Amino acid sequence: MTTILTQTIARLLLPPTFMVAVAVMVKGYADTGDGFSAGVIAGLGVLLQYVAFGYRVAERLITIRTAARSLVAGLTLALLVSFVPLLRGDPILTHAPAPNAHVIHLGSLELITAVLFDVGVFLIVFGFAVGAIGMVARAIDRSAP
Amino acid sequence: MLVAPLGIAWFAAVALVLLDGRRARVGWFAVAALGATLAATVVLAVQVLQDGTVRSVAGGWPAGVGITLRADALGVVFAVVSTGVLLAALVYEVIGGVQSPTFPALVLFMATGLTGVFLTGDAFNFYVFFEIAMISAYVLTGYGQETRQIRAATIFTVVNLLGSVLFLIGIASLYHVTGRLDMLGIALRSDDVGTQPIILIAVIIFVAFGVKLGLFPFHFWLPAVYTSTRPSVAAILSGALANIGSYGLLRFGADVLPRELEQGAPALLLLGTVSIVYGALQALSRNAASEVLAYSTVGQVGYILIALGVGGQIGYASAVLFAVVNALNKTLLFLSVELRGRLVWLAFVIGAFSVAGVPPAVGFFGKAALFRAGIAERSVILVALIFVGGALSFVYMFQTEQRRFWAGDADDPSPLARRGLVLLLAGLVVALGIWPEPLLALSEQAAAVLPERRP
Repeated sequence: MTTILTQTIARLLLPPTFMVAVAVMVKGYADTGDGFSAGVIAGLGVLLQYVAFGYRVAERLITIRTAARSLVAGLTLALLVSFVPLLRGDPILTHAPAPNAHVIHLGSLELITAVLFDVGVFLIVFGFAVGAIGMVARAIDRSAP
Repeated sequence: MLVAPLGIAWFAAVALVLLDGRRARVGWFAVAALGATLAATVVLAVQVLQDGTVRSVAGGWPAGVGITLRADALGVVFAVVSTGVLLAALVYEVIGGVQSPTFPALVLFMATGLTGVFLTGDAFNFYVFFEIAMISAYVLTGYGQETRQIRAATIFTVVNLLGSVLFLIGIASLYHVTGRLDMLGIALRSDDVGTQPIILIAVIIFVAFGVKLGLFPFHFWLPAVYTSTRPSVAAILSGALANIGSYGLLRFGADVLPRELEQGAPALLLLGTVSIVYGALQALSRNAASEVLAYSTVGQVGYILIALGVGGQIGYASAVLFAVVNALNKTLLFLSVELRGRLVWLAFVIGAFSVAGVPPAVGFFGKAALFRAGIAERSVILVALIFVGGALSFVYMFQTEQRRFWAGDADDPSPLARRGLVLLLAGLVVALGIWPEPLLALSEQAAAVLPERRP
């Protein structure tokens, strides 16, 4: 049974959850973190909405279909990052810029293709987590009287 | 060129996820993509067979640090056969109309997984692709959505997840003992490590692949699954997915852990013998055609085990040859089992001859290679066993043929395109039986990749 208290906190926690997820992903190259854990954190934020509000309300936030699209987009992105180097004659998964080459920094974010790959991983994990949670919630919602 | 088959299958699989696979156009797109994958694999195979093993390390890392992709003769043979079987099963479904929106995407994901398994030189990467193929198989087994298919999928998933966990434990232990994950490194380092820990790991890995293959003590899941799934899925499971088991035994046994394979040879021969006799006797006592075929599969993998136990170039070559022939036979038989008509009867009889090892079907050369291996081993028991096994399979296959076709078909024949497909497969079985030299040369070249047995 959820109360106004849990619902308010769940709603309040959603933006910070996404922020922490992005921070974990960006920091991943110099510190602990990566796209996978970021995806799990963001997925947990959505799970909290399902627990507090139930399937019907939480589904308005992000639908299972959107989650599936996020998964496919992430997989496509990660595959592109892996396979595009082949066109230049490099082995699969070669990242640019090359080691010791100049890297553009935006704050603590480094613009390298490995980050793009991790964004792909993030989208896959987030899409899978939300999609799986949503499907379970939908099944519970449908079986409820 | 090395990753082209992988890339085509993978991108096509992702694209198909968003499309509704029940529409004919989407189905034929999947067929085209899988055909392109097969073509790319064949091109790679030709290149490998002419110029030798191709290697590439992901990310341009030094060997031993990055993930190695490696195409050698053994890998490409299995990759070509598995992709070909998947293509046949996919065409079979698309002709009749796919019933599930996800079927074509899953077949392409399985093609990705299988190609990856056969083209990787890294033990952990092997596990990753292996899981991609297995997860698609779990969902595919439920194809049809009837209660019995869901039940089959549940059995299949539970048993094979256990097998996967065992395999993962085996890989982790190998890493623990040798400190390497690339197969070359493991093979080199394991020589320095004592036999004690590694023989245990080898047994764990053997059990994991035994579960996938459905060898005698681990076969319990196989008949229940094969009889309940759709024919195309049964063909995929026994013709394509089971190749992981035979390839895995050859790769991890003969290539990575040859010393342990040699020590375990008596056990392999024993298990293989029991598998053959048990599978044949069970098949003899069954009525339903799909059940006979399922137990026949249990028996047929026993031959692969025997060939491995004999070892050496002769043994390995006959193991490769037999695995390829068995995949072709099972695909042909499972696809034709539910069709009706005279042409189907012809295809089924050719498949039955091939299983029994009667010329001109290609199965004869599979059995002949095993005979050679048995004679090389100077073992009367082995030669007798192969003969008795062949005779028993002749009896049960034609028992099934009688029950299945002699009663006459009440209904109209199946769609011509499907009958044409199984007839095409039957033609391939006969053509390879009449002109077997390429296949024989291929299996010898594949076996030559594996290290010669130590004296």
